[in-house]
Amino acid sequence: MKTSFYLFGILLSLPMCNVMHVNASETSSQQVIPAAAQLCTSCHGAQGQGMGVVGPRLAGLSAEYINNQLTLFQTGKRQNPTMLAMAATVQGDNIALVSEYFSQQAVADIPLQFRGDKVAISDPFEALAFQGDWSRVIPACTSCHGPSGVGGGQFPRLAGQEVSYLKTQLLSWQNGTRKGDVDNMMGNIAVKLTAAEIDGLSEFFANIK
Amino acid sequence: MKLLSILCMGVLLSLPLQANELLTELAPNASTATSSDPLTTLPDRQAALPAVEKKATDEYLQPAPLADIPTGAFGDKVRLGYKLFVNTQQLRDKYVGNELNCVNCHMNAGIKANASPLWAAYFAYPAYRKKNDKVNSFQERIQGCFSYSMNGKAPASGSPELVAISAYSYWLGMSGLMAKYNVAGPVPELSDVELVKGAKRDDFPMPKAISEHLDVTALSQLPGRGFPKTPQPELAYSPVRGMTVYQAHCQVCHGEDGQGQMIAGIAALPPLWGPQSFNWGAGMHRVNTATDFIYENMPLGKSIQLTVQQAWDVAAYVNSFDRPQDPRFKGDVSKTQATYHQHQGYYGQSVAGNPILGSESYPVFPLKKSVKQ
Repeated sequence: MKTSFYLFGILLSLPMCNVMHVNASETSSQQVIPAAAQLCTSCHGAQGQGMGVVGPRLAGLSAEYINNQLTLFQTGKRQNPTMLAMAATVQGDNIALVSEYFSQQAVADIPLQFRGDKVAISDPFEALAFQGDWSRVIPACTSCHGPSGVGGGQFPRLAGQEVSYLKTQLLSWQNGTRKGDVDNMMGNIAVKLTAAEIDGLSEFFANIK
Repeated sequence: MKLLSILCMGVLLSLPLQANELLTELAPNASTATSSDPLTTLPDRQAALPAVEKKATDEYLQPAPLADIPTGAFGDKVRLGYKLFVNTQQLRDKYVGNELNCVNCHMNAGIKANASPLWAAYFAYPAYRKKNDKVNSFQERIQGCFSYSMNGKAPASGSPELVAISAYSYWLGMSGLMAKYNVAGPVPELSDVELVKGAKRDDFPMPKAISEHLDVTALSQLPGRGFPKTPQPELAYSPVRGMTVYQAHCQVCHGEDGQGQMIAGIAALPPLWGPQSFNWGAGMHRVNTATDFIYENMPLGKSIQLTVQQAWDVAAYVNSFDRPQDPRFKGDVSKTQATYHQHQGYYGQSVAGNPILGSESYPVFPLKKSVKQ
């Protein structure tokens, strides 16, 4: 039964899929857009590549993370008027289907910077990203978000993400309109960041592409 | 119900061991190994990590920023030490046999107080041991870390890696002391031979402005050294309760299966048990040591959050799974247990009806490609 539902979805999306093939600038491992993801693509791009201030990049996020965020929007732990309405359109099995689709979209290959590659880091935001500031008990961003902030599991990719989105998120963690992580780990870090650091970190990670 | 009763029995059984640990140091035949492999010539250096009293009035040493590391050959050694400490996977298959990095336990690159900071450890070695009447230098202590915590093979004495980690530790400590006691100028350079010894010795070149405030003994007990001692739990620690704590607070980072979070081929967040974690000879397999670490330092960036009871329980849970074998194991789990495990740990015991821990342990120092992910 489930299979036939999926097939139905795939069939429905086939005509659209052809269009995408023509327009696609990057190759990706899954070209067929599930029907339930069609609406998402209008703001996030057909391959989840992001559309500037309209919608952040989904490609490069794990299925686990997207799945969880959809649920958080639906339950109001993450607040965003647009996404409150949009997330409501994805329900049941479609949550996994949509999450899977976007998680499989290609991201640009970037040279990875690992913690410890540099010792003295003069850029204060790069230093925060790779070394943190333990005088304020801020761990390095990359200690959870991975080398160059490429993300994995419940830790979203920061590298190459839209700058406006990164900034909004850090502010949302700060003011509590974004919640839903275990033990408020991210909120606890965001409240320690200055406005200049939020700007600087957003720019730093957005520029890794 | 059966599971619960087995666990309860395990806890009861382990109570006398806990008491014993306070009275006995290490087993008498620990120094009888004849091989020249550092693994077996270092059997005796895994006394419990220092658990020290933490006072509200403690003032911690503030090492200079990394940007102050000087240019030149000495500074290069310090920098290499930092790099190896933060990204120890550079030594995978050479000296490291798991997915861990030193910085996983020694937070902030060995700088954070109460997370066994390098700057405090450096002034605590050489340490004299009554039992074998032998001096263990700082580099020998680091060799122990490679053999046990890193489940690897110790670099040779005087090797560039041990010189580098010693130089980094020395530079952190000395720059902090110089700042505190207003000693001007760069950190004095030391030869490689001097560096690897550590600073707890009368012939260590300590500026007078510092030594007139702190003698060798005071320097070996700097506030922030080791992990702060967690108070005793109200109830005997329990891996069953610990599982609930783990699921609620730890598994988002360390995984339901304890295998950490792999990102871009590295363990961004470390595995806590299984083939890629520290082995049964590492200090962290002791429930008390893990408790002290967890209570003070977890979750990352938050520090003290769990209750004392939760910290003990979750430390017991994490250490109730199998991990790489104790390198001192010679084929008989019960002998290894009797000789080296008279403390708060689960080696040689069965938890929740599972096989005796140690009987099916993972290999010591496996090549990366040979470990099933």
